[in-house]
Amino acid sequence: MMTKTGDQESPASASQVDQPSVKRAPPPETPAAVQTRFRVIAAFWAVIIFLGFPIWWKTTSIYRASLPIEEMVDWADGKACRPVFPLEIHLATPSMQSFEAQHLLRTTQHTLDDLNEFAAHHLRLKLTNGSTTAHNSEDSSESVKYPAETADTALTVRLLPQDGLAGPWSELHAATTQLDIFYPPSQVPVPSSSNSPLSAFIAAELQRLYGEEKATIAHILSGNTAGLDSTSPQLAEDIDRRLRRSMKYAETYHLSFSLFTPGSEPSSWDIEAAVNEYVSPLLQALSPISNFTVDTQVQLYANFAPTAPKPEYDESEAAWTLKKEDLSAFVNAAEWPLNPSIGNGPTINFILYVPDPSQSPLLVNENRASSWMIPQWGGVFLLNPPLSNTEQGGRSNPAHLSQDSLGPAFMTFSHQLLTLLGTPSTPASLPLRLQTSIRIRAATLLLSASATMGSLARLTESLPSIPIPATVATSVSTTLSHLSASCVYLREGRFGAALASARVAETEAERSFFEKSMVGQVYFPDEHKVAVYLPLLGPIGVPLVVGLLKELKRIAGRRKAKGTAS
Amino acid sequence: MALLFRFLQAAVVAEHTSNWAVLVSTSRFWFNYRHLANVLSLYRTVKRLGIPDSQIILMLPDDMACNPRNAFPGTVYSNADRAVDLYGDNIEVDYRGYEVTVENFIRLLTDRLDEDVPRSKRLGSDAGSNVLVYMTGHGGDQFLKFQDAEEIGAWDLADAFGQMWEKKRYHELLFMIDTCQANTMYTHFYSPNIVATGSSEIDQSSYSHHADNDVGVAVIDRWTYYVLEFLETQVTSVTSKLNLGDLFDSYDESKIHSQPGVRWDLFPGGEQEGRLRTVVDFFGNVQNVEVENANATEPGSLKEDLAEIARLVEKWQKRDEEYSAILGDSAGNVTEDLPSSSLHLKLKSTVGPTKMAEDSSWGKRLVGISVVGACTAIWVAGSILGRSSV
Repeated sequence: MMTKTGDQESPASASQVDQPSVKRAPPPETPAAVQTRFRVIAAFWAVIIFLGFPIWWKTTSIYRASLPIEEMVDWADGKACRPVFPLEIHLATPSMQSFEAQHLLRTTQHTLDDLNEFAAHHLRLKLTNGSTTAHNSEDSSESVKYPAETADTALTVRLLPQDGLAGPWSELHAATTQLDIFYPPSQVPVPSSSNSPLSAFIAAELQRLYGEEKATIAHILSGNTAGLDSTSPQLAEDIDRRLRRSMKYAETYHLSFSLFTPGSEPSSWDIEAAVNEYVSPLLQALSPISNFTVDTQVQLYANFAPTAPKPEYDESEAAWTLKKEDLSAFVNAAEWPLNPSIGNGPTINFILYVPDPSQSPLLVNENRASSWMIPQWGGVFLLNPPLSNTEQGGRSNPAHLSQDSLGPAFMTFSHQLLTLLGTPSTPASLPLRLQTSIRIRAATLLLSASATMGSLARLTESLPSIPIPATVATSVSTTLSHLSASCVYLREGRFGAALASARVAETEAERSFFEKSMVGQVYFPDEHKVAVYLPLLGPIGVPLVVGLLKELKRIAGRRKAKGTAS
Repeated sequence: MALLFRFLQAAVVAEHTSNWAVLVSTSRFWFNYRHLANVLSLYRTVKRLGIPDSQIILMLPDDMACNPRNAFPGTVYSNADRAVDLYGDNIEVDYRGYEVTVENFIRLLTDRLDEDVPRSKRLGSDAGSNVLVYMTGHGGDQFLKFQDAEEIGAWDLADAFGQMWEKKRYHELLFMIDTCQANTMYTHFYSPNIVATGSSEIDQSSYSHHADNDVGVAVIDRWTYYVLEFLETQVTSVTSKLNLGDLFDSYDESKIHSQPGVRWDLFPGGEQEGRLRTVVDFFGNVQNVEVENANATEPGSLKEDLAEIARLVEKWQKRDEEYSAILGDSAGNVTEDLPSSSLHLKLKSTVGPTKMAEDSSWGKRLVGISVVGACTAIWVAGSILGRSSV
């Protein structure tokens, strides 16, 4: 080929050389050589097509498991489920005729429905006979943990007649989920009347009890409380503040109780007894919501940060005081070994600080308080134990803190824990507040898992280069099934079960979104791709393509020759 | 009243609950001393303004303090006057050396990390967090080099922020970058609530400010130097009311020797609204400590709660007593517990090293010997056959 093109380019010189001898053509190719060349080219192309191409395709394609995108988006948009919170309230009327009680129930329910302005959260009244009431209310905490087939009883209202009353009055049992309403017997509604002061009172009382919960759930579902007219701005602000300072939901929280002191004493504390005594009951009660692990530590010679403002002596109070605005610098985050990296749950820190004898007692300046809370982080308690005189004439802290002296501190920590977990402040009964907190958590988790599904769906659509492993698809289907289970439980009023399902959904949703291998790393612009492939494909591709073309031309030429010959 | 209420809500929406800072240097080696000094200076500033170490992610690809060429071992300075030792004795580097990679950086932002990665190496921000992302290193048109080995593209960064926004991992984000052609790095951002600022336009270099002759290399970049000058001299405490507008107005092109850029359009309300964000919204730490009033009596106050918790404690004690009464004798419970716990302790103390390999080593040795033997036999047979044929 080379000689031939050379000849064409310089015909003059060729003619001179060709003068003596005729142009010598290369010897004709033997059919065997042609055959061999054909086979070689065919073999190269076979390898490329049947081996190279599939391998390239397989190794460069990104595995994307198929996800139920539409369903996920439906959940995120709230089309798949409209969470409702029907609270079942038992009405016990031990001293009323059955028809009277029925009538009272009907009128009260009617009044309640009239008062209610947030349809997703409503109260359902139900009659029980008086004998089982006490039992029910005692068991309510269990029914949360072991979801029965029936709806959870939110509250038992006991109606008790009392002589010599001008109007009805109520009393909430602080340790159980029971509300006693005392009424003058004359106020029992007559079946003919459609309205009575007693039913109005009951309705108003229930409305008041669940006002905060309703506002909170409305706030969570819609993002603001504007939908409820009856919510006072004060309450709205409280709810907002609480939601902001409470910890982000986690499956497991680590509670870390630390004793810090700038000197060598106290060096021991009755921590095990104190935790068992004051914290464990609360953790038991909170167990449907989250798991908790407890760690404790004692840190001696713990100094303030060098830049932190020093406490000042207040003559009038005979105490050392810290200014409120300086409290955020109190914890020496750099040097105190806090925030241990245990597992993957967040840590809630509780610090018990025993000041140096020379700075005791230590208090907060503004309101003589000895404790404060740091939102989303934990709490601090300043413990000023009675000082003892040493032989050298100085004063020293006791070497050991007994369980009794730790009591106030740990009660305060329990309170801070409740606040940090976002437990509402009303009504004034802890079991009721915990139940409310279960419903609030269920709503929050349902929404957050749904939102995560939506995020994952949008992510899948918007980033075509991100791989989606099969485990993500599994997690997504688990999430979706638990979400719908949770939604059904909510509708049935089984909030404990709903929360359990929502917790699974949330965990799986997080797992699917934060799947480790889903890192859409290094976006390649097209020019980069050309730059990667060209040096490889250029030198190999050109001879291959040219060889193929020549071979095709030869075959075509032979066929044509055959055609003319025949 | 309604108006006031709405105003309150608007104020609430704008508030954030925590602050996080991600400070990244992307270059190693001694002559890039200034990039590490840049990051350490900023680290010092955000720490001074109250962000705790647990909420600062510091990525340092090299250890200048311990570099053998460092004439002042154990220290890093960002100024020739060497007044402030940036390394000090209180510094927490979260990602160091070859851990600083594009992959780790993106994993950090999107939190796609192994389960066993400790929390100190994670960005635990949420929907209420303001995040400051500062990057410095050598870059070019729409990329930033990581350790001379790889690069992060503007697209990757935009996608990472997009995913953070999808998962509500920030409330507002301030992106700062000091590198050559820095402003090209934020051109592809698409997620809202981001304010981005860079040191230089496309085709412009970003210069170092000055060199320290004793250290022997440049110690800080110009843009970072003037940003820090503003932060250190004007923003003296967390209560400072200076806003981002003031910070960006302080840019002086004649001093910086390049044209710094700011991108507002992703921020709701654009430049007008964005300028009003205070500097400490991003560089400081919000911490609204709540002192509990021991004398308050409103529902949910300390006193009420304490009473309720005391009741709960009482109830559980009663239940425990009842439980042990049902068991028969109250002491039975205790005696039952004690041996089990001591047994547990004993078990704990005897835990020794465990054998990792399951199968016996002798089997493996046998296989090895037979393989070697077979090979030798083949070689011997081959050589004998070969000789006989010749």
